[in-house]
This record gives sequence, C-alpha cells and structure tokens, in this order.
Amino acid sequence: MFPPERTFWELFVTYVSGNWPRILALTGQHVMISGIAICITLLICIPLGIVLTKREKLASVVIGVANVFQTIPSLALLGFLIFVFGIGNDNAICALVLYAVLPVLQNTYTGLRNVSPVMIQAARGMGMTETQILLKVQLPLARSVIIAGIRVATVWVIGTATLASAIGGGGLGKLIFAGLGALRQEVVLAGALPATVLALLADQGLKMLQNHFEPRRRALRLARKYAAEESVREEKDVPGEEMVRHEM
Amino acid sequence: MVTFEAVSKVFADGTEAVKELDLDVGEGEFVVLIGPSGCGKTTSLKMINRLEECTSGRICVNGRDIRSVDPVQLRRGIGYVIQEIALWPHMSVAENIGIVPRLLGWHSGRIDARVDELLALAGLDPAKFRHRLPDQLSGGQKQRIGVLRALAADPPVVLMDEPFGALDPITRDVLQSELKELNKSLRKTIVFVTHDMDEALKLADRVVLMRQGKIEQMGSPEEIQNAPANDFVRSFIGEDRLASISPESSLETLLHDPFLRVTPGEDPRDVLERMEDDGLETAQVVDARGNWVGMLYLPVLKRTLRNRGTLREAVRRNRKLVLEEAVMRDAAEMLADMDLSIPVVNRENEFLGVVTSGSLARLAIGRLSRSRKEENA
Repeated sequence: MFPPERTFWELFVTYVSGNWPRILALTGQHVMISGIAICITLLICIPLGIVLTKREKLASVVIGVANVFQTIPSLALLGFLIFVFGIGNDNAICALVLYAVLPVLQNTYTGLRNVSPVMIQAARGMGMTETQILLKVQLPLARSVIIAGIRVATVWVIGTATLASAIGGGGLGKLIFAGLGALRQEVVLAGALPATVLALLADQGLKMLQNHFEPRRRALRLARKYAAEESVREEKDVPGEEMVRHEM
Repeated sequence: MVTFEAVSKVFADGTEAVKELDLDVGEGEFVVLIGPSGCGKTTSLKMINRLEECTSGRICVNGRDIRSVDPVQLRRGIGYVIQEIALWPHMSVAENIGIVPRLLGWHSGRIDARVDELLALAGLDPAKFRHRLPDQLSGGQKQRIGVLRALAADPPVVLMDEPFGALDPITRDVLQSELKELNKSLRKTIVFVTHDMDEALKLADRVVLMRQGKIEQMGSPEEIQNAPANDFVRSFIGEDRLASISPESSLETLLHDPFLRVTPGEDPRDVLERMEDDGLETAQVVDARGNWVGMLYLPVLKRTLRNRGTLREAVRRNRKLVLEEAVMRDAAEMLADMDLSIPVVNRENEFLGVVTSGSLARLAIGRLSRSRKEENA
C-alpha cells in the first residue's frame, strides 16, 4: 500500500518538525562560515582601503585584482580553490572572502576619498594628528558608504555560502543539494528558507546600524542625553537659582 | 606677536609664491592681507600655522620660531577660520566648537561651559543651537560657529582665510561688524586674508597689500587710501573705492567751505542782503579765532530783523556734527530730514567746514568715474 498522497506543505511541515535540530545546526554552521568570512574581509579590507587612499597607483591595481575575483563564477572559484585548500570549510571561507573583498574595499576607498579635502584641512588646521583626522573626521564621514559596502558583501556571502557544501563544506547548502539530489522539494525549501531569512536579517541589521550613525539621529540622542543630565543638575540646584540664570 | 623675517616660499613646481616677506604683527593688531589672486596672501597665512612650510626665512609666533614647535601643538594654540567654513557635518555645533579644547584634554564640564559662553557671545541661544547640526544652520550662523570654533581654546592669535567670502553681501556686512565689535573686547591678534578692499578697509588696523609674493604697500586704511604708494596700489584701491564709502566712514572727505561765512560783528542787514542776493538759505558764523559761533537760517534772520534784534540773537546752534564722533550715516540722515548745510566742528569747537547733500552726491560721482580716469591717464 502507498501512503496517502500528501500536499507539499504537509511534507514540508513533517520534514521540518522531524529534522529541526539538524536544520538549526546547519543554520548555525551557515552563520559561522559567513560570519568568519565577513570578519576576515573587514580585517583585510578596511585597513587596506585606508592605506590605498594614500597610495593612488597601488589603489587601481588592487581594486582591479579584486574586480577580477568578482567576475569569476562562484562555483568555478570554489573549484579552483580546491587545489589550494583541499575540500571543506576553509576553502569555502577563503572563496567567500575573495568575493566579499571588492564591495568592502571599493566602498572604504571611495568613501574615504570622497571626504572633502576642506574638511581634512580644517581638521589639520585645528591641530589634529593624522590618526585623529582619520578617526574623528574621515572614517565618520565615510561611515555610511563603508557600511553600505559591508551590507552588499554580507548579503552576497550569505547567499554564496550555500555553495560551500558543493565542495564538502557545511551550512544550509547541504539541505539544498541533498533535496535536489533526492528530488525532495520540501528539503530544498528547508535549506533555502532559513538562508533567505538570514540574508534579509543581516541586511536589515546593517541598515539599522547605518541609521544609528546618521548625524540627525545622533544629534537627537545627544540632545536628549544632555537634557537628562541638565535636569539632574537642576534638581540639585537651590530653588530660585534657575530664575536668576534665565534673567541673565 | 607674529613676525616674518625674509620669508620665502617656493612650491615644488618652482612657483615662487612668497618672496622675502618681512612683516611684524603686533599684539592685538588686526592685520589684513589683501591682493589679487596668486599674490601669496593665503600661502603667507598658512605658513603661520605650518599648513605650508616656508622654504627660507623665519616665522615667529609669540617670540618662538615655529619650526621649533611641533606643528600639531602649534596649531592647537592658533585659531583658524577657513573660507569654506568646513564645519564637520557629522558633529553637532557644540562638538564642532569644542574640538580644540577636547584635543587639549579639557574635561567635558569645562568644554560645555565654554561652548555655551561662546554661543551666547555670538548672540546664539545655547539651548537652541548646542545640539544642532551644521546642516540645520543658515550660512551666517555657520560662519559664526566657524569663528567660535577658532576662538574656543582662547588662542592669542587667530588666522582667518577669507572667512566671509562665501556669504551674501548683507550677511557679510553684519558678520564683519560683529567680528570688529567682538575683537574690541577680546583683543586677539588677527591675521585676515581677503581679496575684498571694502572688507580690508572696514576691519583692518593695518592693510598689507601684496602682489606676486611681495608687499606693495602696508599701512592703516586711511594711509593706503590717501597716499597710495604706486600705480598698482592706486588701481587696486580704485576699483573698490566706490564700495569703500561705507556709512561708517569719516565725514572728512565730504567737508567743503560754506557758501557764506560771516563774523559775529557784521551788520545783520548786510548779511540778509547777501543771503537773498545769492539765494542762500543758511550762513555760518565763525569768530576771528576760527571758533564756530552758530549758523543763520534765512527765515530766522528775517524774523529777528523785524523785531530789531542783533545778529547774535539770530544765531542757532542746534544743528552741527562733531568730526571725531560723526560718520557719513549721521550726515545723510540729517540731510534727509532737512536739506540744509550741516556745519562740522572738532571737539574744540573749531569750525572745519560744512557738509551738504551736494558734497555727498559729488563724492559718489567722483568715485564712480575715478577708475575710468585712471585708465586714460
């Protein structure tokens, strides 16, 4: 006897309820692979981007190379890297980093380059050291462009990380490829859905970070903080003193 | 306070921007460097805080050779205002103003107090403006903040590089007046760069007119205007002279002799006859020592004569201007009220001459045609 015909959604729910520990574990792996790749990218690209703004000639070469990696099809890149790293997560992470380099590097470089020289001259004229100029003026002014680059890179990395399992790595790609192999669409969806949600969440999270630093919001926060401190100060004051101050 | 000794600047491409410049700016002095573009005025300014390094010669600030001071420390001790204002858009007004104190390591309470003090000084309500962003300010407000930022750590020397160049004429005029007023109490040593002669004449204690890296002439605004050293200076002032008549200028250039000047002892009937013959409404009465006795108005003189009064009884002393105290604006207002000659005296009551609406008009016309005459000459 065949089991009774079941709809796709029933199959999906059954699969997920039976396998959720595995789905969670793979999601965890996926986050880890993507996270490590993004962290390595940031550690390389942001300092490199800063250095490149001081070396114009080098900049075009480095960004050109990053561009080349970007154009290699992702699966092919993973294939090439098997010769270097063998099979597994190391290979996948390395490929993801090569992928993520361009948007982060390019945006760091462009963001810093687009800071008006007048702003930098004002900072230098006020007596900031070169490091202070970088930290207090250049990076804050380039911040939203840099975060935009990180957003793009993160979404790509989370998406491309599903291919890691093709070269023996972990992550949600395992479910997708397994499902495709067994012609079980509910398994494909059980991998694709969390991967999509992860990408959306990362994108939204970074968008919120971008907004957090938006000058107007920051100014409002500062004003509120100052007002709160002020009211504490005033409570300590002797009554009546406030009136005198206003008259002045 | 700031001295240049044979300072030259040659850029990497071989351009000689400044040649053997000697200049001594006294404490509390307001010196304006002016000249056509490329004359080396901005380069000279930037050499003071080492944004440009001089290639030869010596610059001292407050008695110390600036090359012996770390540039970063040097700049923290010198106020700097630049043309493009360049408030940092990601920082609030308070953070922009407080930047040098913060670099100097002041504690935050002291910085907050200083910021509020400065905002109040510039007539900006601290509670309202402290947390604004530069984007939320008008052009004039931004540049006020730019000036306050330079004053924050109370530096003895302030450098200003065309600070009002980007503002509309009305705002510029207001800010110039504010700056002048402000510095009466602050007594900062200010080196100010502009290409606007009007601005230079209005603000400067001393104008330094530069061309091709050299000083063409240096002197008070009056000296520069009254005794231009050469044709270049003359033409450079000439282009701007009309604009340089400000309502705040001295009356001196407007003075001329009265149409009728009489002594107190003269017969009032003779005086009346002469006034009527020449169609004059007024006459000035001046004694033998040159002191002003008063002025005669035609109707008053006639009435006095009908009552058989003396010349002394016809004299009125309610209309006059004192040269040291009055400016063109006062004269113009009086003339607009009543279009009769205004006698001008000095503090010792010595009669100097009269100002009429005709002299105002002639001045304006003279300035208008001046630059053209010079071209022909």
